[in-house]
Amino acid sequence: MLRVEQSKNNYPSQERSVVRSTYNILQLAKAVIYNRYILYILSTFGFIYIWDFVAAMGFSKFLPRPIEVVNQLIYMLQYPLAGKTLLAHVWFSIKRVLIGFAIAVVSGIPIGLAIGLNRYVRAIVKPIFDLFKPMPPIAWISLAILWFGIGETSKVFIIYIGSIVPCVINSYNALYIIDPELYDAAKMLGANRRQEFFHVTLPGAFPAIFAGIQISLSMAWTTVIAAELVGAREGIGFIIIQGMNLARPAQIIGGMIVIAVTAWLISATFNRIERWVCPWKAEVAQQ
Amino acid sequence: MEGRGSATMKVKIECQDISKYFITEANEKKEVLVDFNLSVYENEFIVIVGPGQSGKTTLLRIIAGLEKPSTGKVLLDGKEVSGPGPDRGLVFQRYTLFPWKTVIENVELGLRFKGLPKKERREIARHYINLVGLSGFEDYYPHQLSGGMKQRVGIARAYANNPEVMLLDEPFGQLDAQTRYLMEQETIRIWESEKRTVIFVTNNIEEAVYLADRIVTLEGKLPGRLKKVYEVNLPRPRDYTDLAFLELRQKIMDETSLIL
Amino acid sequence: MTANNNYLKSSARLLKGLSVTSVIVLILLWELAIDFNIIPSTLLASPSQVIKLFIYKLNHIDPDGATLGNHMLVSVGEALIGYIFALIIGIPLGLLMGWFVIAEGLARPIFEIIRPIPPVAWIPLAIFWFGIGLKSKAFIIWTSGLVPCVINSFVGVKMTNPVLIRMARTYGASDWEIFKTICIPSALPMVFGGLQVALATAWTALVAAELVAADAGLGFLITMGRRLLMPDMIVLGMIMVGLTGALIGFLVEKLERVLITGVRR
Repeated sequence: MLRVEQSKNNYPSQERSVVRSTYNILQLAKAVIYNRYILYILSTFGFIYIWDFVAAMGFSKFLPRPIEVVNQLIYMLQYPLAGKTLLAHVWFSIKRVLIGFAIAVVSGIPIGLAIGLNRYVRAIVKPIFDLFKPMPPIAWISLAILWFGIGETSKVFIIYIGSIVPCVINSYNALYIIDPELYDAAKMLGANRRQEFFHVTLPGAFPAIFAGIQISLSMAWTTVIAAELVGAREGIGFIIIQGMNLARPAQIIGGMIVIAVTAWLISATFNRIERWVCPWKAEVAQQ
Repeated sequence: MEGRGSATMKVKIECQDISKYFITEANEKKEVLVDFNLSVYENEFIVIVGPGQSGKTTLLRIIAGLEKPSTGKVLLDGKEVSGPGPDRGLVFQRYTLFPWKTVIENVELGLRFKGLPKKERREIARHYINLVGLSGFEDYYPHQLSGGMKQRVGIARAYANNPEVMLLDEPFGQLDAQTRYLMEQETIRIWESEKRTVIFVTNNIEEAVYLADRIVTLEGKLPGRLKKVYEVNLPRPRDYTDLAFLELRQKIMDETSLIL
Repeated sequence: MTANNNYLKSSARLLKGLSVTSVIVLILLWELAIDFNIIPSTLLASPSQVIKLFIYKLNHIDPDGATLGNHMLVSVGEALIGYIFALIIGIPLGLLMGWFVIAEGLARPIFEIIRPIPPVAWIPLAIFWFGIGLKSKAFIIWTSGLVPCVINSFVGVKMTNPVLIRMARTYGASDWEIFKTICIPSALPMVFGGLQVALATAWTALVAAELVAADAGLGFLITMGRRLLMPDMIVLGMIMVGLTGALIGFLVEKLERVLITGVRR
C-alpha cells in the first residue's frame, strides 16, 4: 500500500491530502468532501436547487423560480419597460454615476491634497468637512428634490456629495503614508518645492488616492440606486422599485442581479486599471 | 601619513563649536550634541563611530543641512552650510529610494532637478550604475532589488550629483553580515575609483577600522561629544584579520563603550 | 528642528481658533442667508428655524404623526435589531469560514453572490416581502451589516499568525481547540473593524429604506418634510440622522476599546 502524506500546517488537519491505494473508499470520500472547489460547486448548485424547490412549493407569489428570473431578464432586454429597454435603463444609471463621480474626483482630490499640505486650509476646511461626513448622502435627497426637482440634477447632486467624501479623505490621508525621509532625499538631491511636489508628493500619494477613487465609485453606485428608488422614472433603481410597485418579484430579483453584475464589472475594471497604473504599489510598505 | 592616502591638506568640511539641543514636550532641554569641532580634509575618508543614541545621526544631518545647529556652524569649502543641497550627497540607512522610480530614474533624479537634458543625465547615470556594479538593472524597481543592491543605488544616486562630499548614515546597518562585508569592500573600491571626501557614520568598530583614514569616536551617551580621533595608517586594501587591524580595533574597543 | 515651544503652542492655538471660527462663520452665513432672503425660505431653513422645530417636535406629534423622540426610537430600534442579528450570524459565520474548509466551501459561493449587491438594492425586495415596518427595515439592515462582518471575520482568521498555529499543533491541540483559543482572539481586531464598517453601511441603508417607504423614523421625517414643503423638517431630519449615526459610531468605538484593551490593532 502506497502512502504519501502531505501536511499543510496552516490548515486544519482535515486538509492533509492523502493519496492511498484506491480501494480505501472512505479516504477517497473524505478527500472529495474536504476539497473546497468541489464544495463550491455543490453549494452553488444546492443553492439554486433549494431556491427552485422552495419557490415551486407555492411561494411563487413571493419568490419566483430561478428560471422565471432568467425569463424576465431576457424579456426586459428586448421589450421596453416604461419606455426604455433594460440596457437603456442601465445606461441612465451609469450616466448619472459617471457625471457625479467625475466632478467629485476632479474637485475632491485637490481639496484633499490642499487639506493635507497646508495647515491653514486644514484648520479652516476640515472641521466643516467632518461635520458633514457622518451624514449618509442619501439623506440629502429630499432637499435635493426640493431644490432641483425630480430630474437628473438632483440625482447627480447627491452622487456628487456621496462620492466626494472618500476622495477627500483618502487624498489627505495619502500624504501621511509617504515616508518623510523621501522628502529629505529629494532635498539633498537639490529639489525645489515644485519638484518635491511632482516627484515625491504626487507619486507617493497616488496609490491611496486611487483607492479613494475606487471607494468613491462604489459609493456613487450605491447612491444612484438609492436615489432612483426614491424618485426616478428611469434607471436600474427604478426597475426594482417598479418591480415592487407592480408586485413582480422576478423583476426585482432580476434587477438586483443586473445591479450586482454591473457593480462587479466596474470594480473589476478599476482593479485592472490600478495594476497598470501603479506597478510598484504593493511594495511600498516593504521599504 | 600613509593612512591618509590621497587626502590633501585642504580643509573641506569644518565643524565649529557645533551643539544641538531640543526642547521636549515637557519643556525640558535635551542636549544631543555639545562642543563638536572637527576638520575634515579633502578626499579623506573619515568615519564617526558611536553607539546608538550618541547623536551621530544628528551630527550628520547637521552637516547635510537637514537640521540647523543650535550653536556653531558647518563650513563647506569655507562657506557656511545653510540648508540641504546637492553639493552634499547623502546615503540613507533605510535606502530611501523612490519606490515609484526605476533604478536609473532614481540615480538620475538629482541631475533632473538640475535641469540636465535626458540624454546627458542618462549617460551620467549609467556611468555611476556601472560604477556601483549594477549594470543591467537600470529598469528595475526598488522592490525587485535586494538590500545590498538598493544601497548601491543609493550610493550611485548620491554620487551622480557630483557632490563635494559624500555623507553616509549607517548605510549597511540593515544588511546581513556577509553583504555588509561585501559592501564595505565595494565602498572602498568605488571611492578609490572616484575620490571624494567621505563622512561615514557607523556603530561598528570593525567597519570603521576597515574603511577609515581617520576615526572619530563619540561619547557613549548623550549629549554627544567628541571623544577621540584615531589615525589609521594601514595600507589598503585592508585585512580584517591582520594583526595591526585587530590591535587598533582592540584599542578603540577598550577606550570606548563599544563592543564590536 | 529646534522647536521653540511657545511658538508651537501659539500656532496650535491659532489653528484651533481658525477651526472654531470657520464653523461659526459657516453657521452664521447660513442663518443670515435665510434671514435676508438671499436663499428663499421655501428652499432652505435657517439654523434658528431648525432649532425651533427641534424644540417643538420634542413634545408635539404634529404635523407628521410622532414626536422627534419617537422617530429616533424607531430608527435606532430598527437599526439595532438588524445590526445585532447581523453580528450574531455574520461574525461566527465568517470566523468558521476562515478556518474550516467545509464551512468555507459551502457558504462562500452564496456569499459571493450576495456580496456585490449594494445593500440599498435589497430595499424593494424587503418591502415586497415584509411590508412597511420593523420587519422589512430590520431585514435590510441585517443584510447590509452581514457582508462586512463576514468578510472581516473571515480575513481576521485567515491572517492568524501561522507560527502560533504550528506551535499549538506541537502541543497536540485539535482543530477546534486551535480555532477557539488562537484564531478567534487574534481575529478580534479585524472583527471590530468590520463592526464599524457594518454600522456605517447599515445606517445608510436604514435611512434609504425609510426614505422609500416608512411611516415612522428619521428618514420618514425627512420625506414628510418634503411632502409638507417644510424645509426645516428636512434639515432637522438630516441633522438628526447625522448626529445619531455619529453617536452610535462613537459608542461602538468606545465599546471596542473596552473589549479589546491591550490588543494592538
